[in-house]
Amino acid sequence: MNAYEDQMEKLIDKAEALGASYAGVLYQRRDSEAIEVDNKALKSYSSRSFSGLGVRVVHGGALGYASTSDMSWEGMERCLEQSVKAAGSTASTEGGILRPIAVNTVDAGLPVKVSPFDVPPEEKVSLALDANEAAWNSDQIRSARTRLGSIVDERVFLSSDGASVRVVTPLLGFGHSSVAEAAGVKEVIGDSRSMCAGYEFIEGRDWNTFASEVSDLAVEAVASKTAPPGTYPVVVDQDVVGLVLHEALGHATEGDIVATGGSVLGGKLGTRIASDPVTIIDEGVVEGGYYYPYDDEGAEKGRTVLVEKGILKGYLTDRRSAGKLDMEPTGNGRSQDFENFPIVRQTNYYMQPGDHSLEELVEGVDHGILVQGRGMKGGQVETGMGTFTFGVGPSRMIRNGEARELVRGVVISGSVLDVLKTVDAVGDDFKMRASVFGVCGKNGQQVKVGTGGPSMRALRMTVGGQ
Amino acid sequence: MDIANLAVKRASDLGATEAEAFVQRSRKTKIGFAEEAHDVNSVTSMGLGLRVALGKRTAMYSTSILTGEEVGVAAERALGIARVAPEDPHWKHVNRLYGSSPVEGHFDERIEAIEYEEIMGKLGSAIAIMKERDRRVKPTRGMLTLVSSKVSVANSHGESIEGRWTAAEAWTTVKAEDAGLESTGSEHREVRSWKELDLDQMAADAVDKAVGFLEAKPIQGGVMPVILRNQVAATMLRIMMSSPINADNVQKGGSPFADKLGEQIAAEDICIMDDGTMTGGFGTNPFDEEGHPTQRTPVVEGGVLNNFLYDSYTALKDDVDSTGNAMRAGYSSPPTPAPTNLILKGGTASPEEIIRDTKQGLYVEGVIGEWLSNPVSGNLNMTVTHGYLVEGGELAKPVNGVVLAGNFHEALREGFEIIGDDTLNSGGSYAPTVKIRRLTVAGK
Repeated sequence: MNAYEDQMEKLIDKAEALGASYAGVLYQRRDSEAIEVDNKALKSYSSRSFSGLGVRVVHGGALGYASTSDMSWEGMERCLEQSVKAAGSTASTEGGILRPIAVNTVDAGLPVKVSPFDVPPEEKVSLALDANEAAWNSDQIRSARTRLGSIVDERVFLSSDGASVRVVTPLLGFGHSSVAEAAGVKEVIGDSRSMCAGYEFIEGRDWNTFASEVSDLAVEAVASKTAPPGTYPVVVDQDVVGLVLHEALGHATEGDIVATGGSVLGGKLGTRIASDPVTIIDEGVVEGGYYYPYDDEGAEKGRTVLVEKGILKGYLTDRRSAGKLDMEPTGNGRSQDFENFPIVRQTNYYMQPGDHSLEELVEGVDHGILVQGRGMKGGQVETGMGTFTFGVGPSRMIRNGEARELVRGVVISGSVLDVLKTVDAVGDDFKMRASVFGVCGKNGQQVKVGTGGPSMRALRMTVGGQ
Repeated sequence: MDIANLAVKRASDLGATEAEAFVQRSRKTKIGFAEEAHDVNSVTSMGLGLRVALGKRTAMYSTSILTGEEVGVAAERALGIARVAPEDPHWKHVNRLYGSSPVEGHFDERIEAIEYEEIMGKLGSAIAIMKERDRRVKPTRGMLTLVSSKVSVANSHGESIEGRWTAAEAWTTVKAEDAGLESTGSEHREVRSWKELDLDQMAADAVDKAVGFLEAKPIQGGVMPVILRNQVAATMLRIMMSSPINADNVQKGGSPFADKLGEQIAAEDICIMDDGTMTGGFGTNPFDEEGHPTQRTPVVEGGVLNNFLYDSYTALKDDVDSTGNAMRAGYSSPPTPAPTNLILKGGTASPEEIIRDTKQGLYVEGVIGEWLSNPVSGNLNMTVTHGYLVEGGELAKPVNGVVLAGNFHEALREGFEIIGDDTLNSGGSYAPTVKIRRLTVAGK
């Protein structure tokens, strides 16, 4: 399976000989590459290999963690000693509350046809240059930026419980943003597509058209009016549903935040937090999402139901927070890399689809807005309260049940619990996305996640203009 | 050193016109704490950043795998990228002047050899202070980080250099609760040696801050004199000055000082320097991150802008000498100019004297959102989390939730009314407590 596996096993034996009641060893190698073309010229091409070992022990009831990028046997031994010393340094007894998990032995690499690192640099650069060129399709385009990103992340986890889990996740993506200007107004539209796959994903698509369509939207948006601020019934598309759920609800369902009293959802298990059509899931393997079948504690990340028909059914947990909350681990113990210990993170967080077509959702609105994610600007949330503000992409006004003119500068805000209680219909147009360019940050650790869902209709959302 | 030289050799063998290798090995101990120390993490990391040139095409590759085989792969990949990189008309060559300035206080053997028992002793004492100094207060989050690092730089002109450095950093946040009122207090320290790290004082300051602000409220807005405590002034200095005096920003036209060299940009009593040789400074090192000796560079003297900060690339572009300010955001990043220790020269007044001298104003101990300030326009924007209204030369009621607005460039030109004698750092920025003649305070 992996060149270091024998040594990792020896290390676990040694940990037990040193008195550790538990040892988990994570090997990781991550190769990555980022190409950026700015205004028809290659701006940067960065490339990196990053590899090492993390050792987590329970020793004397306490947890210790140490890591090293020195993969010599001596380096690994020193790392283990540091981990045992780290555990011995505290009076904390948190090692005792780690919940047990099923012992998995599995090799779960995602097969790729073409490794992105086997493709010659000039081929990748010229693909990005061509797409950038195609984006200059109007005299209103002021600048254009094209990106190509590749990551292959291999993780091998072995534990003294007998776990042996290898996961290889490739993630490739193409991104483009264009700035259009008309009558003194500038509008930037960015969009990207990523997939957990090999370079065949990049080869199989027409990125020139993709970049050109981003420019089209920028040109259309810059000529459009801003949305009149107010409270509207809205139909929210998949991208926005996914991001709002991840940020405003997802973090509040993370067990460590719940355990320390920092979540608006603490103490609400079994109660209604959303309307009947709303069911929310976190799942490790979803088409289009980030491939994450097992977590960094060796637990299977299956399917976790968080909200079922509006009722809060669970939280996301790692072994530690499961112990604190007296629940079962849900396979959400994730670390940014081998230098960091696992904490509770989402994987692919989404709303389950319903059976309405997008047209039906829009038909039910007299005067409102179709909130669209493409060209989204980002936002801010407050996990303790579940409040959010997002600058979304160019959206459409809805009049008499029909999507009409484009409006730009749309900012949605509110409390996620208030919004979810007014959801009266959910679409059948499910879509899941991961991004090679984006990350989710928490406690200084950044991980990849998948977000998505179907379109949904909510009766009230506050919309501000810019 | 072996790996740095090996990488340079591999790249040269493969046809690189020039090569420069930067190798860093470091050990970091991170301890998360609240009411007890938990989450102890020891990180041993190493990595190589390899920069190559093919004529005027340059590229960079980095790896944490320091075996002979991987170093060969790094050289191949770097050259593969260089071949497709556009020519940089400004590229001349990598830094060729290597050397060490005589500096002290940048390396502490004790940090390199320290045992957990000693760390936990000092940390335990600080945690006890946060739990016991005031019954209304408890520690909520904190982090102690000790770093020791070894750096090697080498190039294909036969130059090489190596050195060691250490750092000790800590921050903590405490929460006070009393009769339905809540407040927080945060403190941070960044030093180079274990001995200098005074966690007890940090803990006591955080507790006192939290307790003092239980009844804090916004005040009526207005224009008034504002006294910034040393670390707040140091933070402002970093945000408002670092990028405008960076030669790269100057050359690309992104600096408001681009055409102001030799001009009076500040009042005569204002002196700002960058000093990579200051004893024990947080940014002190004998050489910068491309091997060039560090130095003391007067940036603003008597209010006159006299120098920008250069690495070798920007220096060669302007046909001047590097000021020894090449910095990397880790081994995987190429060098760019950045301050070492950026220092606003202190004056003679104690903070107490400054307060006593103020009839009406705002004394500011803590801010957030300062990064919303704009170093190009000079517009300041900081939300005060911990301040005091000053009345009749005394600290009156505690204030929070007001926003400071004004223009840093104007404040520089008008001069600070008083410059204090209590210089303290926020990272690599050093400033005393200063009194700005007037800022707009946006209140309730």
